[in-house]
Amino acid sequence: MNQMHRREFVKRVGLSAAALPFLMGLPSLGLAAPARPRQRLIIMFSPNGTIPGAYWPDETGSDFKLKEIMSPLEGFKDKMLVLNGVCNKVRGDGDNHMRGMSCLLTGIELFPGNVMGGGGAPAGWASGISIDQEIKNYFQSKEETKTRFGSLEFGVGVTDRADPWTRMSYAGPNQPVAPISDPYQMYHKLYGQLKDKESLQSVLDDVQSDLKKIRKMISAEDRQMLEQHETLVRQMEKDLKEGEKKKLVAPAPTLDTGVSASQNDEVPHLSRMQVDLLINSFVNDMARVATLQYTKSVGQARMNWLDIKDGHHGLSHEPDNNEDAKKKLTKINQWFAGELNYLLTRLAETPEPGSTGSMLDNTMVIWTNELGKGNSHTLDNIPFVMAGGGFGFQMGRSLKLDKVPHNRLHLALAHAVGHRIETFGKKELCSAGPLDLS
Amino acid sequence: MSQMRVVLTLFLAGLLMATGQVQAAGRKAPSGADIFRKQCASCHGKSGQGVHGKYDEALHGDWSIEKLARVIDKTMPEDKPETLDAEGSMAVARYIYDAFYSREARDRMNPARVELVHLTNRQYENTVADLLKVFSSDNSKIGKERGLAASYYNSRNQSKKAFSRVDSQVDFNFGTGTPDERVTSTNEFAINWSGSLIAEETGTYEFIVKTPNGMRLWVNGRDEPLIDAWVASSATEHRASVKLIGGREYPLSLDMFKFKDKTTSISLQWIPPHGAQQVIPKRNLSPVTVRSTFVLTTPFPPDDSSVGYERGVGVSKSWDEATTQAAIEVANHVSSRVDRYARVKTNDAEREAKIESFCVEFVEAAFRRPLTDEQKRTYVSYQLKSAKDIETGVKRVVLLALKSPWFLYLGLEEDKTDAYAVASRLSYGLWDSLPDKDLLKQAAEGKLVTQEQVAAQAKRMLGDARTKSKVQDFLHHWLQMDHVEDLSKDSKLYPGFTPEIIADLRTSLNLFLEDAIWNGKSDYRDLLLSDSLFVNDRLAKFYGVKTDTQEDFVKVKLDPKQRSGVVTHPYLLAAFSYQKSTSPIHRGVFLTRKIVGRTLKPPPVAVAFQDANFSPHLSMREKVAELTKDQSCQTCHSVINPLGFSLELYDAVGRFRTTDNGKAVDAKTEYITDDGETVHLAGARDVAEFAVNNDLAQNGFIEQLFHQIVKQPVMAYGPEVMDRLRQSFIDSGYNVQKLLVEITTLSATHSGKKVTSNGKKT
Repeated sequence: MNQMHRREFVKRVGLSAAALPFLMGLPSLGLAAPARPRQRLIIMFSPNGTIPGAYWPDETGSDFKLKEIMSPLEGFKDKMLVLNGVCNKVRGDGDNHMRGMSCLLTGIELFPGNVMGGGGAPAGWASGISIDQEIKNYFQSKEETKTRFGSLEFGVGVTDRADPWTRMSYAGPNQPVAPISDPYQMYHKLYGQLKDKESLQSVLDDVQSDLKKIRKMISAEDRQMLEQHETLVRQMEKDLKEGEKKKLVAPAPTLDTGVSASQNDEVPHLSRMQVDLLINSFVNDMARVATLQYTKSVGQARMNWLDIKDGHHGLSHEPDNNEDAKKKLTKINQWFAGELNYLLTRLAETPEPGSTGSMLDNTMVIWTNELGKGNSHTLDNIPFVMAGGGFGFQMGRSLKLDKVPHNRLHLALAHAVGHRIETFGKKELCSAGPLDLS
Repeated sequence: MSQMRVVLTLFLAGLLMATGQVQAAGRKAPSGADIFRKQCASCHGKSGQGVHGKYDEALHGDWSIEKLARVIDKTMPEDKPETLDAEGSMAVARYIYDAFYSREARDRMNPARVELVHLTNRQYENTVADLLKVFSSDNSKIGKERGLAASYYNSRNQSKKAFSRVDSQVDFNFGTGTPDERVTSTNEFAINWSGSLIAEETGTYEFIVKTPNGMRLWVNGRDEPLIDAWVASSATEHRASVKLIGGREYPLSLDMFKFKDKTTSISLQWIPPHGAQQVIPKRNLSPVTVRSTFVLTTPFPPDDSSVGYERGVGVSKSWDEATTQAAIEVANHVSSRVDRYARVKTNDAEREAKIESFCVEFVEAAFRRPLTDEQKRTYVSYQLKSAKDIETGVKRVVLLALKSPWFLYLGLEEDKTDAYAVASRLSYGLWDSLPDKDLLKQAAEGKLVTQEQVAAQAKRMLGDARTKSKVQDFLHHWLQMDHVEDLSKDSKLYPGFTPEIIADLRTSLNLFLEDAIWNGKSDYRDLLLSDSLFVNDRLAKFYGVKTDTQEDFVKVKLDPKQRSGVVTHPYLLAAFSYQKSTSPIHRGVFLTRKIVGRTLKPPPVAVAFQDANFSPHLSMREKVAELTKDQSCQTCHSVINPLGFSLELYDAVGRFRTTDNGKAVDAKTEYITDDGETVHLAGARDVAEFAVNNDLAQNGFIEQLFHQIVKQPVMAYGPEVMDRLRQSFIDSGYNVQKLLVEITTLSATHSGKKVTSNGKKT
């Protein structure tokens, strides 16, 4: 294959990888029982900060109450870990939204560049890999945790532009990974080969009869080649039938048709489609790491479905004494919690393939945001809420930590999957080691 | 070491042969035929055709008798190789070589015929590219002007246009200022360059954009940028590669903007196939934007080229899989853009009907002929009807069409004079691609019947860029430029012979070939005799050529005593040289096979030239003469060496020289022709003069051109064809373009009846 610009390659890999190892190269889709429980990681993002008073529980420890924003998550309280006091301490070029977003998962400064934000010096992309990609690479490096894609990057309503406000996942320095916001494109990435095979299978009979007809027309000397050709086509048909026996654990889902990925009002619909595809891809073990990015930093989603006509980012700038804005922002964030609840519910009701329990038992979901608070643009007290299991963390708690750098949380995630790196992102912020969440 | 062993083995074999002959006088040794019948035929078949389940493959190949004997002695019969001694092995080897193993034997057994062939890889790639072009209405052509159309703006979002002009290339450093006084804002401005890229050779093109600013580059289509660095982020160099088919133009667009950056600069560079990194030269840019071309990315297994040219014989599993994957690639491309191809709007009430008629057109173009009603039902209507939605239906139509023998094979028609078959033979002959609208129209109107009608079309088709591309393909094959990869030399001995010089030399040779064939007289003799060379500034300096050129290539006349066409082109002289010295053997073999048209058997013993084995005072000529003085070598080297030595006046990088290793170069040789005549040669020009006047050399050129164009054995068109082609070649003043028309017409109008007569036409 052509050597492509690496960033482009990562961007395109969705389509081209689906076209690559075409027929026979398709790895077995059947699942054997895993030797040890799988570990999976999902990072969900929603933008523009939160309303701290309606978000953080007042209590610490296992006896805590969920406030208004997190109320949709009540059913998963005993599986949740609320982390107050985690701060993005990365400084340098770029405004707080840019650093909030592009340093959120990378924990390292942005390069100098030409993107001018609402403050600070102009900046470019993050100068390091993000934790989701780091863990993906670790999984992909080992036979027992390797999957077809390693990681999948889902987007919901992410605008079609590439800048430090729209990218949180990085394959490396200067290598932002674009989330796929179009469920049909994601579907093609996941199941395109399968559909190609179906189309191919449907025409092979006609190809054969074509060859037979023509064989009769041509001279004996030339016939041999066509006979060989026929044998090969027969062989291919056989191989395809063989391949069919290796059934997927879950069949490819049927998507609603005609949903436009760029339509603001389709966001709720798109959200569910993407979550369903995510669950489906995990059941079929196509990846063990995923990100799910709702809009982008400074995202201006208009949540008409909540009867809110203002853009999300605009609202988030309103001062604390604007009660109406506060109410709307609480509602908006509550809606995101509801989508998280849907994700957790789907995971909880899906049995772990080849094992006991549910997929949620072996999946850690993290819901985060690029800012602690919208109108102050603080990078302190970034919302980090975890839910799920399998990482050895003691769940069902609310913690108040003492302004710990978020790099230490990333280290804890890496260590939890067995990837015992000393530092992640900016070294100086890692000196106290991984957060102890056990 | 292993060479030593080979020599020894051979020596022993020789000894044994000698003893064998002595013994033979005493008792009658079994003949090779007897041995084969008794010990080999059970697995290999009576005529070496192979036995299913034992040894399936036919015993065909190009090993020498000696090598065959050696291998047989060591390994055969498989169960007990000791039962066959060297003498017996040699007898068997001689027998099978003459009976069926060698090419000569096979030719004798199977007289040449026009075979059913599938598309070669080159043909496949061109065919799908042109197949999709059928459905594009925009036919903009690049004119003579070179460079890129540039638009300069006083804003970063290209809203306030300052001025436009044509830039010959993109290589600017505006520093902290602006590109031009008409751009007034130093803080923010933007530039777009657009036009077309002229790709000379097929392969992977790497693009490099150097800039500290934000930029996007599109090559061959606006669907997605090849490089997206709109966010400038510390990296100032961006690279990406894309495959392009040579001999075609591709749309290119480059956007850049400055916004508060300290400085502004940009350089658009590339590394073309066989090239070195450089700013994309003006020569390869046009300000006219052409439409994009579909370039297949599916890799194919290499074509069979066992007979010296690529042709579509034999099918293999990997080929079948490649054609399948390629069909899927095209099907996905078409079905995801079906509205664009069918020229229909998504909400058109007639959408399905219009897509159906697009599908019919698509299959007709793919099959290179109109469909019968029954075919329309099978290939189109049924597929569309039985798919769950129209996109899937289109996918099935494309898949079926591209997997069909009607697409994959050439020559399926029972009636070889069928007008559409003639059209295809013409287009695949000159273009390696499908017939254009004109040809299909002529076929439909029954106007591809007479020699004159067909020749008129061939003449028209010469003007198409695809003919040039195909002829370049032939010339590269002829001059072995298609396999040359590494021309680099020892940097201490040949300082300054850089990758840039090597890339320039290839360009120089390409320009020379194009000029010789397509400008002026198109005289074959000019290819060998011309005293001109294309040089740019860099080459002129390195080769000591006086010219006032600054950058781009110009044609300069050189001393005819020193330069003679391709024979002395430095690219080839360097290609047929060692890293530290010339190689009269490589040069000699090239001249023997390609320029004077003689055949050589593979060497009986592979001997590597090792400079350290010779006295340091010898000249290269003396070393080679010493190395090949053995009688067994001289069978061929008596031909190779004189030709190779005649080029000793050129060093390993192709510079003219008069001394070698401190001695005056002796380029005087005596060459024995195939008729046994002695010709005195005193240098490159003498070789070239000899070749252009020699039957065999002319035949060699004609035959190689024929095979490369037609991809069928020339003998299949009758034993007198070679003589006829040569005569008209001579009559035309050795006009290569006319020869192309003659060859294409002849093969296109061939009735397909087998020619069995022997002997020459009287």
